[in-house]
Amino acid sequence: MLLRKIFWLVLLCFASIARAQTILDAPLDSITESKPFTTLLDEIALKSGARFFFRKEWIQDLNYEPGQVKTLGEALNLFFRGTDLRHFMMDPFAVVIVKDPTGEILHEKAIQEAVRQQKKIVSYQIGQPRDFKRGQQVKVNGRVTDVKTKSPMVGTYISVSNDQFTTTNNDGRFSLTLTPGVYALSFSFINYEDKIIDLSVYANGDINLEMEEVPILLDELVVRDRAELTTQGIGFTQLTMQDVKHAPATFGQPDIIKRVQMLPGVTTVGEAALGFNVRGGSVDQNLILHDGMPIFNSAHAFGFLSSFNPESVRDVSFYRGGIPAMYGGRASSVLDISTKDGSYEKWSGNAGIGMITSNLLLDGPIQKDKTSMMVSVRSTYSNWLVHSVKTDYADLSKSNVSFYDAMLKLTHKFSDRTKVAFTGYSSQDSFRLTGDTTYQWSNAQASVTVDHQFNSSLAGQFVGGVSSYGYQIKDSDSLTQSQLSYRITSSVLKAGFHYLKDRHKINFGWQLMHYQFDPGTFKPTSPISNAKYVSMDKQYSIENAFYVSDAYSFNEKFLIEGGLRIPTFISFGPASVYKYKAGLPLDVLNIQDTVRYKTGQPIKTYFGIEPRLSFRWMIDPNSSIKIGYNRIYQFLHLISNTTAVTPTDIWQPSGYYFKPQHADQISIGYFRDFREKKYGISAEPFYKSIKNILDFKDAAQLILNRHLETDLLQGKGWSYGIETSISKNTGRITGSLNYTFSRSFRQVAGPTASESINNGNPYPASFDQPHIMNLTWRYKITRRYYFTGNFTYHTGRPVTIPVSAFAFENTTIAYFSGRNQYRIPDYHRLDIAVVFEGNHRRKKRGEGIWILSIYNVYGRKNPYSIFFKGTGSGVPQAYQLSILGSALPSISYNFRF
Amino acid sequence: MKGRKIFSVIKKISMLVLVTACVDKIDFDIPNTDPLIVVEGMITSDPGPYTVRVSRSIGFDSDSSFRDPIEAMKIKLFDDQGNQEDFTETKPGVYSTGGAIAGAVGHSYHIRLETSDGKIFESQPDTLHAVGEVTNVKHAYQHEVLHKNYGDIDNNFFNISIDADAGTESNNYVRWKFTGIYKMVTRPELHETFLTASSYKTPLPCSGWEVLPALGGGLLSQFGECTCCVCWIYDYESTPHLSDEQLVVNHAFKDVPVGTVSINSYTFSDKYLIRIDQMSLSKSAFRFFNLLRAQREGASSLFQPPSAQITGNITPINSNEKVVGLFWASSVNTKLTYLLPSDIPYLVPPPEEIDDTCRVLHNSTTEQPSFWQ
Repeated sequence: MLLRKIFWLVLLCFASIARAQTILDAPLDSITESKPFTTLLDEIALKSGARFFFRKEWIQDLNYEPGQVKTLGEALNLFFRGTDLRHFMMDPFAVVIVKDPTGEILHEKAIQEAVRQQKKIVSYQIGQPRDFKRGQQVKVNGRVTDVKTKSPMVGTYISVSNDQFTTTNNDGRFSLTLTPGVYALSFSFINYEDKIIDLSVYANGDINLEMEEVPILLDELVVRDRAELTTQGIGFTQLTMQDVKHAPATFGQPDIIKRVQMLPGVTTVGEAALGFNVRGGSVDQNLILHDGMPIFNSAHAFGFLSSFNPESVRDVSFYRGGIPAMYGGRASSVLDISTKDGSYEKWSGNAGIGMITSNLLLDGPIQKDKTSMMVSVRSTYSNWLVHSVKTDYADLSKSNVSFYDAMLKLTHKFSDRTKVAFTGYSSQDSFRLTGDTTYQWSNAQASVTVDHQFNSSLAGQFVGGVSSYGYQIKDSDSLTQSQLSYRITSSVLKAGFHYLKDRHKINFGWQLMHYQFDPGTFKPTSPISNAKYVSMDKQYSIENAFYVSDAYSFNEKFLIEGGLRIPTFISFGPASVYKYKAGLPLDVLNIQDTVRYKTGQPIKTYFGIEPRLSFRWMIDPNSSIKIGYNRIYQFLHLISNTTAVTPTDIWQPSGYYFKPQHADQISIGYFRDFREKKYGISAEPFYKSIKNILDFKDAAQLILNRHLETDLLQGKGWSYGIETSISKNTGRITGSLNYTFSRSFRQVAGPTASESINNGNPYPASFDQPHIMNLTWRYKITRRYYFTGNFTYHTGRPVTIPVSAFAFENTTIAYFSGRNQYRIPDYHRLDIAVVFEGNHRRKKRGEGIWILSIYNVYGRKNPYSIFFKGTGSGVPQAYQLSILGSALPSISYNFRF
Repeated sequence: MKGRKIFSVIKKISMLVLVTACVDKIDFDIPNTDPLIVVEGMITSDPGPYTVRVSRSIGFDSDSSFRDPIEAMKIKLFDDQGNQEDFTETKPGVYSTGGAIAGAVGHSYHIRLETSDGKIFESQPDTLHAVGEVTNVKHAYQHEVLHKNYGDIDNNFFNISIDADAGTESNNYVRWKFTGIYKMVTRPELHETFLTASSYKTPLPCSGWEVLPALGGGLLSQFGECTCCVCWIYDYESTPHLSDEQLVVNHAFKDVPVGTVSINSYTFSDKYLIRIDQMSLSKSAFRFFNLLRAQREGASSLFQPPSAQITGNITPINSNEKVVGLFWASSVNTKLTYLLPSDIPYLVPPPEEIDDTCRVLHNSTTEQPSFWQ
């Protein structure tokens, strides 16, 4: 401390010296032989009467070589670059050389803090002090892995003497550029034991680190949020599985998507709505990746659960602004889910039993340290839940619901540098809500991922796979017995590279996707059925993208990440395209010609340039300002005339008539920590505009429509808002409260009335919900018992309702308001849970967690669907169907063995 | 053992769970606005007269479908040849032409309406297209059991479908209007008035019977013809049936479902007449009926798509008054078929006697349809 005070005092006293013609301008041209720098200074002092103040040992190893520099000033700059030595002038003929002690002080402080917190400290030295070369910085590369599974720990937070921060990349790697000296490196990852390295570094080197999972819930649960609030990318959230698993759960099933729905700026249109809306975007604008493969429908059981078993998930990254260039194809957000590798060391498992589902996960080595396997299965027991639904709505009593999902992951390490993983995934759902109609849908995925480390700075990841999503709607009414099938098959090839050099983190790569759409086959399923066989032509397309991005940290304060993504989309034959008379609305009556495209013949090509930019300025160690901008093209559109995703929705690729949507989003955020990061606040305004959004014409026929272009219209959309949040990160009670104000509008103004919606005037999007508030908390009752909960509120979504009625041809016709001019009642819900954890002994046979939760504590009747029923005369009345009209208690038990 | 214990705990807790799904009415705060003006009228290829009805819409709070007619309007019919003809009001809110203009294929027609306070409305000209005809009306008996809260009930009905010629025009916008008509006989002369302890014979005057004043009021005597004993009941379609493109093969529609006929003692006390009008539509009329159909069909679905504002082809000329409705031109080919009690595979019991005027029956008229045989 004393050293530091002296340094600043001296600096203050003499900071104003900068005049022309000083001793620093003294020419060195005349010195022709090499000599120690101390000798040189003595000679200059003698010659000119100048005075130099320094400690000899600081500069005794420096040697002056003639011809290197012209003046003394240049010589000092050259020698001191990259060191902790500085010089300043007391007067034109007096130079003081000082040593900046900040690095050592910070190191000392960080180590003392770690000792105080009883953290394990490992000393590590790279190179010898004698290796140390003046003016040269050293590079420390490294990789962080899980001690058990050996899988890379993505996003591990690294602090360098609490002064400089970084995180590991997708392969668990990091790179630091340091001035030779001593540092305290702290590695933290949620629910893992912190690692502190007391590092002395004098040469380039590697640090490979293994981290160990802490078997209990610790306050570190929120470490990452706490630490990263100010430093992580704008609009980015890393969900932790621990967080997901300890939240109140519907039917006792922890759920990733339900957790995403509690984040700022994220909402859903109603109870159990499939999908989620991000910053005024529609549900199809969310890219959901499961080990790199796209997932088109992530729902189980009407939408009460999502189809990912949290036990098999390693981490979940969610981006809603400043989306990196490696992601594209969806306009609003990215939810990137990575699954766990099985353990390479020993077999273990996890079993969970809930109210309607149970799950089992087993993982372990097939060949120790080389090959591992992870398998997980989750399924419903029965239909008892739906059959226990008490309702006056007769149709519901005939309902049923069932689903399963299963996953297999095989991982093999060819060497320390190369790992190959196979992921197989399958999910299936079936439900009947009303009458004779059964909805079934399924996802299947098979992919291979190869991770390879080319050298210490360059790593690559290669993914190849196929995923398929399809649904069937079965009608079992005897006269109309039929089946409608729909399927999307996507094949994916990806190559991504991460390159770390000095202050640069460069990502670049190539992605290729081939889509095959089977837009619908409708066939009778009994000989007496009236149904007519209809089969729609298949649609084919390719989406190709190149991307590059560079995250460059100028210094500890400024980080800028610029990126560029260049997508190309080609739809190709075989296909028939209807041509319409020029200048007239697209209408079946105006079909002039049909053009036939041969197999592989391009029908339409779209090309885009997507700049991505994010910027972070650490105002001080506790606060930052971040800016994010992204442009994204979206080539696949979800065509729906209902508000939530229903299993009958159609994905339509861009093509001859449908232009790709493209979204531009800009967001600016302010983030601040208080009281040693105990509290955090943030505010993030955003504006997003989307071109070429698709909306349906009134009374559009979407299923089995060969000329869908006549029933859809393209227009523009925009949304804006501000997300605010406050969080408490440590202590017995932790939690966060976020509030978002946002609006989302659409405008479809075509040349004629039939090509416009709402007479061409702007109207609120179906998911425009101005006020969204979420509160989550976790209260530690004792070391093993927790009380957790969440409360969510959002404005009711807009609807179009009947405002009067008129008689026409002996029937009563409802007269509806303009599109989306009214709102359904507000949505709010409180869920609570009590978590009982097993004992915390490190050596034990197993570990269990009981979760008792109550979903919808005060029995709010939130609507699942809205419909209008006429009473035979008068104006049809609006009704809402609430599937859960009461509190739903549930219990689940999870056991790790 | 432990697993079994856990299952047992879960089972016990499950028993406590009460999941309730419910359907509730939502009340919206809808500002009171002036009623809409509703116009309904058509011109056909048959000789006139043609009729236009004008009424006011029903307010949000109203629970009746009673038409509030708008009287004393001046309405004119125009064709694309420069001819025009006035409508005259025949009943409150019902206006008819005199027959000077007759609808012809290939021509277009529109109307102009003026209210007594000078507000003018016009319809978009609508072209009268040719239409094919229904070639075959088919019926198929069906029995189903409906599961109601109070128990299962039998439901017997005929599914009616048609084959039709699509006509020569490339325009395939066709509507099939289904109307079912059956005859009902009631006994208004048996009408009685109930008091606390006893009942009195009170034959309705329209029955043509009266109670003899003498003899303590127990005997009836006929004084004239019954004018309210025989009615024809109309079953109107609730949803318009429109041509769907996928059903056209070689300019023919095949097996188009157009309606159902409920089988009960009343509908088949005599015979049941099915009237199918095959009507040509212009694009705008098709759009109107298609919206109407979407609204009616969506009405029973839980995944109801958002409904559309149906406005039609009438626009205000000199005001901002809101108007809905359609004046359309159509060629109409009518096909009549009778279903007889012998078409039903079982014996339908005779109906119970109704001691009231037949006019109390919904959609009834004492006027025999001209085409009833």
